[in-house]
Amino acid sequence: MSLKLRRRREMRAALLLTGPFVIVFIVFFLYPTLRVVTMSFTNAALIGGGDWIGFDNYAKLLKDKLFYTSLWNNFYFVLLTVIPTTVIALLIALAVNKLRGRVQALVLTLFFLPYVLPVSVVTMIWAWMLDFQFGILQPLIETVTGRPIAVFKDPNWVMPMIAVVTVWWTNGFNVLLFIAGLRNIPPDLYEAAALDGATAWQRFARVTWPLLWPVTALVLTLQLILQLKLFDQVYLLSKGGPFNQSYVVLMQMYREAFQLNNGGYASAIAMVLFITIVIVSVLQFQLLRIGGRK
Amino acid sequence: MTATGVHLEGVTKSFGAVDVIGGVDMQIGKGEFAVFVGPSGCGKSTLLRMIAGLEDTTSGSIHIGARDVTHEDPAKREVAMVFQSYALYPHLSVFENMAFSLRLARRPRKEVEEKVNRAAGILQLTDHLHKKPAQLSGGQRQRVAIGRAIVRAPEVFLFDEPLSNLDAELRVQMRLELARLHKALGTTMIYVTHDQVEAMTLADKIFVLKSGMVQQAGAPLDLYDDPVNRFVAGFIGSPGMNFLEATVSAHDTDGIRARPKGQPDLDLSVPITSRPAIDSAISLGMRPEHLTLTDGPGLQVTVDVAEELGGISYQYGALQDGSPVIFQQVGARHGLRGTVQNLLPEPGRIFAFDAGGQRVR
Repeated sequence: MSLKLRRRREMRAALLLTGPFVIVFIVFFLYPTLRVVTMSFTNAALIGGGDWIGFDNYAKLLKDKLFYTSLWNNFYFVLLTVIPTTVIALLIALAVNKLRGRVQALVLTLFFLPYVLPVSVVTMIWAWMLDFQFGILQPLIETVTGRPIAVFKDPNWVMPMIAVVTVWWTNGFNVLLFIAGLRNIPPDLYEAAALDGATAWQRFARVTWPLLWPVTALVLTLQLILQLKLFDQVYLLSKGGPFNQSYVVLMQMYREAFQLNNGGYASAIAMVLFITIVIVSVLQFQLLRIGGRK
Repeated sequence: MTATGVHLEGVTKSFGAVDVIGGVDMQIGKGEFAVFVGPSGCGKSTLLRMIAGLEDTTSGSIHIGARDVTHEDPAKREVAMVFQSYALYPHLSVFENMAFSLRLARRPRKEVEEKVNRAAGILQLTDHLHKKPAQLSGGQRQRVAIGRAIVRAPEVFLFDEPLSNLDAELRVQMRLELARLHKALGTTMIYVTHDQVEAMTLADKIFVLKSGMVQQAGAPLDLYDDPVNRFVAGFIGSPGMNFLEATVSAHDTDGIRARPKGQPDLDLSVPITSRPAIDSAISLGMRPEHLTLTDGPGLQVTVDVAEELGGISYQYGALQDGSPVIFQQVGARHGLRGTVQNLLPEPGRIFAFDAGGQRVR
C-alpha cells in the first residue's frame, strides 16, 4: 500500500516538474514541426491551407539552380568557419590557461564579451569598421590590396568577411569549452611527462591533444550544426548578394516563405536543410569518434 | 662513506615571503631507501619535488651522484617519480604508459618491448599490458606507475605518498612489494609519507621534517631509541609517546629524580648526566610499551577505553589532573576499564625534555 502511494507521489512530482516543458515543447516545437512536414507536401501559401501535391516541391527544389548555389555557399561558409574557429579557440584557450587568477578571469571575459552581443549589434559594429568610405579597417585592407574594398559588395570578399565576423562573434563560447576541457587534465600528467623527458610540443601532442579530443569533437560538431544554419549575419550584412555569392539555404527559405508567400516550397527547403544537417553532423561525429579511438 | 646517491646542501625554498623549506642538509647514500616523514604541511613533498626538479630551488645545491642538478631540467636529472595519483595517461594502454619515456626518446622497437616486458614481469603486469588504466584496480595502477619508473632505469626513484590512495590491506601488501623491489633493484629511493609505520618499515634512513626543517635523521630504530626532541619522540612510534609535566625534585648518582605534576608521593629516576636545577620544570616522555603495572606506588591512571587488538591491547586513561596516558598490555581481556591502575616505566626508558622541547641527556 505504502509502496503504491509512494509510487503515485513520485509520479505526480515527475509530471509536475516535466509538464510545463512538455506542453511548451508540443505547442511551440513539435506541432509546428509536424505542420512544416505536412506543408512541404502541399502548394499552400504561408497562411491558409493548400492542395496535396506529393513530392512536387522536392522535385522542383532539386531542379532549382539557386538551391544548389545556396547549398554550395553553406558548405563554403562551413569550410571558412568550423575548423578555423576551432583552431583559434584552442590556441586562445591554451594561452589563457597559462594565466592565473584574476588576470585569467579578465582575459577570458574579454574573449567572451562578443558572444554576449546580439547579432544586430555585431553586424553593425563590423559594417562600420568595414565601411567603404569611413571604416577604420579600410586602411588595413588598402595596405594589403592597394585599394579600399566594399567587402560586403564584392563577390570574392563577402563570404570570407562574414566568416570573420562570425568567428569573432562566436569564438568565446568555444574558448570556454576548451578551457573547461584543459582544466580537466590533471597537472600530474604534465609533471610525469616532463620527468619522462617530453618537450613542450610532445606534452601537447601526446597528453593535451588526445585528452582534449572529446571536447574538440564536441566543438567541431556544435560549430558544424550552428554554421549550417547561417542566416542572420548574411541577412544583415549582404542580403545574399552580390550575385547570390552569399545566398544560403535559410536565406532562400526566408525569401520563398515571407517574400514570395510560397509556404509549401519553403517548408520543403527547410526539410531538406534539416535532413542535410542531421546526416552531416551524425557522419562527422562518428568520424571524429573513430579518429579519437585510434 | 659509500658513494653518494643524493646530497642536499643548505637547500631553501620560499614562496614570496613564506619560507617553506628552511636550509636542509642531507646525505643519502647510493642504494639507500630514504624516507621523508612528517605531518602535512611540513614541506616533505615540496622537498621531494625540488629533488625531482618540479619545484625551483631558491638557494643551496642538490647533487645526484657527482652531478650538480640544482638548476637542471627534470628530464635530465635521471630521476623517476611515482605520484600519489599515479598520474597514468588515461588514453594509453598499460604497455604504452610504461613505454612513454622510451617512445619520447625514439628508442628502437625491440628495446622498448624488451624493457617494458621485463618491468611488467617484475611487477606481475604481463597479462594487463593491453588494458587501459581505467580497467585496472588501485594496486595494479600503482604497479604500472612503478613500472613506468623502472623502465627508465633512473639513478633515483622518488615516491610521493604512493600508497595513500590504497585500502589498508593493499597498503601493507604494496609496502612489502616495495621493500622487495628495493632489494632487487638496489637503486637509491626516496619516499615521502605522513605514515610513520610506513617510514619505520621501509626506511634505511628516516628524515623527520617539521616546518621545512629536518628535525632528525637516522635509522628507524635509532630515532625510536634516541629521539633528539619532543617532536620526533612523539612522531615516531605508535601509539604516540606519553608526555608528563614534572619538576626536578633531587639529584642522585644516576641522574635526577623527577616528580610528575599531581603525583606528590612519586619520584621517578631519570638517568641523565646534565642535571637541571632542582625545582626546574621538565617533561617526561614514556612510550606505552614501556609502562608496566605495579602493586607499589606509581602513576595512578584511571582507565576509560581499551583497544583490544588480540595479541596486545592499548589501555587509554588519564592521571588525576587529566593528562592522558596510554599503556600497552600483552594479551587481551584485562578488564581494566573503569579501574585505577598504578604504572611504572621500565628503568632507563624515560626521556626528559626541556621547556623548549629539546632532549635533556
